[in-house]
Amino acid sequence: MFSNYIFYFLSALALYSSVMVLLSKKPIHSVLYLTLTFFAIGGHYILLNAQFLAIVHIIVYAGAIMVLFLFTVMLLNLNKEERSPKPIWVKAAAILAGIMLGLVLIGVFRGYDLRLIQHPMESQIGLVKELGKILYRDYMLPFEVSSILFLTAMVGAVLLGKKEQI
Amino acid sequence: MLIMRHELLLIAITVILLLVEIFLPGDKKSRVITLAILLMTAVLILGFVPGPSGTLFGGMYQTTALISMLKNILNIGALIVMIQSADWLRKPENKEKISEYYILLLSTLIGMQYMLSSGDFLMFYLGLELATIPLAALAAFERFKEKSAEAGVKFIFSSALSSGILLYGLSMIYGTTGTLYFAEVGPAFTGTPLQVLGFIFFFAGMAFKISLVPFHLWTADVYEGAPVNISSYLSVVSKGAAAFILTILLFTVFSKIALMWSNVLYIIIILTITMGNLFAIRQQNLKRFLAFSSIAQAGFILLGIIGQSQYGMTTVIYFVLVYIFSNLGAFGVVSIISNRTGCETINDYDGLYRTNPRLAMMMMLSLFSLAGIPPVAGFFGKFFLFAAAANHGLYILVLIAIINTIISLYYYLLVIKAMFLNRSDRPIPKFKSDFYTSLGLILCLAGIFAVGIASTIFEAINGLSFGLY
Amino acid sequence: MSAESLILFFIVGAFLVGIALLFSSLVPPTSTNSQKAEAYECGIPTEGITWLQFNVGYYLFAIIFLVFDVETVFIFPWAIMMKSMGMTAFIEIIIFFFVLGVGLLYAWKKGALKWE
Repeated sequence: MFSNYIFYFLSALALYSSVMVLLSKKPIHSVLYLTLTFFAIGGHYILLNAQFLAIVHIIVYAGAIMVLFLFTVMLLNLNKEERSPKPIWVKAAAILAGIMLGLVLIGVFRGYDLRLIQHPMESQIGLVKELGKILYRDYMLPFEVSSILFLTAMVGAVLLGKKEQI
Repeated sequence: MLIMRHELLLIAITVILLLVEIFLPGDKKSRVITLAILLMTAVLILGFVPGPSGTLFGGMYQTTALISMLKNILNIGALIVMIQSADWLRKPENKEKISEYYILLLSTLIGMQYMLSSGDFLMFYLGLELATIPLAALAAFERFKEKSAEAGVKFIFSSALSSGILLYGLSMIYGTTGTLYFAEVGPAFTGTPLQVLGFIFFFAGMAFKISLVPFHLWTADVYEGAPVNISSYLSVVSKGAAAFILTILLFTVFSKIALMWSNVLYIIIILTITMGNLFAIRQQNLKRFLAFSSIAQAGFILLGIIGQSQYGMTTVIYFVLVYIFSNLGAFGVVSIISNRTGCETINDYDGLYRTNPRLAMMMMLSLFSLAGIPPVAGFFGKFFLFAAAANHGLYILVLIAIINTIISLYYYLLVIKAMFLNRSDRPIPKFKSDFYTSLGLILCLAGIFAVGIASTIFEAINGLSFGLY
Repeated sequence: MSAESLILFFIVGAFLVGIALLFSSLVPPTSTNSQKAEAYECGIPTEGITWLQFNVGYYLFAIIFLVFDVETVFIFPWAIMMKSMGMTAFIEIIIFFFVLGVGLLYAWKKGALKWE
């Protein structure tokens, strides 16, 4: 299957770029790699037949949220690496915890029967029409509550970001 | 409409406050305090009017008599915090931001109530976010103080991380059960490894919000840096809401793996109570002290959950109610003293009884209640929690908890000793509290005594609770 | 158009751009010297750190923009479903707009939209 190859390509791209987000020395590079990750995940959405989500993902995440990230980097003047070196035992503990979490995840997913998922790539749920139906019928309340969340986010941002008027 | 009355009322007053802020001329801003407190009092009273129960939006939203009561309890806590904040908000540097403070506070309350009423994990998550994000802005409210800004940043980072973990867990639960509705997840939740991992992640996310050990590291720093009233709100209302919804979810959706989660809780309770107490002993700053004490109290709350019975749920709710009054009493005293004098360490409180006897008495009663000394309500709250766990046969756990209660007595008494016995060259000067501070403290005092004496409250809660068996 | 062809389109597009860049770097004559590496070939050479701290005002604008960006995302499905969903969907979006409109009014009144 051709789409399988695309899936592997996109997954490899997403993994590579998200690892590079962590490994990059410069914050700006991290941010740019993060954009690449978002694009790869957007590709996954398209594979799952969710075009609308893919576009939204790119507009909102790769567009608006990345802008916020870049502003933050510029605002804090983070062009140099100023990480305080961690003691060795912290690193060891982090590696150990990471390995343990990895083992648990592998063990858990090995036991899971992936065949239960039927034809994920033929699902119609991500199409804008279906999405609209679900959003405005079943998920009406979360939709309205999210507007309050936006409102408070805006009030909070204005509260914290505004210059003091004295 | 009537089913969702609590939330709609709160949304209405939030929008009213926002419109008032938009259209009120600048020199009348301080009147917003009175307006907000009056509106919230109205909401609290209206919330007690019995209303219909049921589900809305195809099971997305549900309410029962129990949930309505929990919302009322949260409303009480929020109202007291709003009253206690008045003195601090009147300070010149906060005068411009009074409405914002109340709007953000109320929106977190809306989030908590939606969280309690959710019938679906998505709605639950949205409520959780709405209850968390504005709190970060509130923690950074005094943004020109370095500590406050730091508290905001620490809070938003740790809560974003915990939300991410929680969401990952939810995605696993969704992946294995194919649904997000509580009513459908429950029967499908059979405890396959993936589901258990999903539950663990979910629980870790909730443990961040309730600040259980080992997910407590943010607590002390945030409580110390944030404005005192926000710390008290975080430690009481926010924690109470998360404990309530955790109890309900453990007893309904995750009831099939009760054996597993009670094992998890067993270890976490021991860790939380012990660590909270041991670290509290070392603290000099009263806000940090109360932060660690509140971590230990969170461990005690879980004792009721692990009881798994109807009685257990009753004790959780009852304890949180008591805890609201006693902790808000202690924080109220710390808040007024911090506002008037800037003193926050235990040594500053030396000889407080000589200069401000009423505040010292209030602080003593609150700390007695937190420690669980008989005449006040805290004793009954703790005693019932122990009984709930003991009924389930967890005697060793109860023994450890009792030993910890004795340790906690030691550090609570340290503060009381400082206030009553120690002498100081520079005691905190005598000052008169304003109307709202007195009102807030009197409400707490009344609560500390009334909830302990009136057994009808306990029976009313017991009538509405449910258990696993 | 299926999903595969859409993704293939992007991949081939990226590939072609890569080839064009590679080709143009191989074919023309190239010369390198130290002056070409400078940021400006004429004018004053920069000194010190050329980064400067951004005004926090940008952030405020960006975050308000983000709110309305997400709002537009919600409008798309609504616009498509508007006819078949009828009045309910209309009322829902009106409430949504009202709440966000109050927020915008607030930001406006507070001077958050003014550049200072």
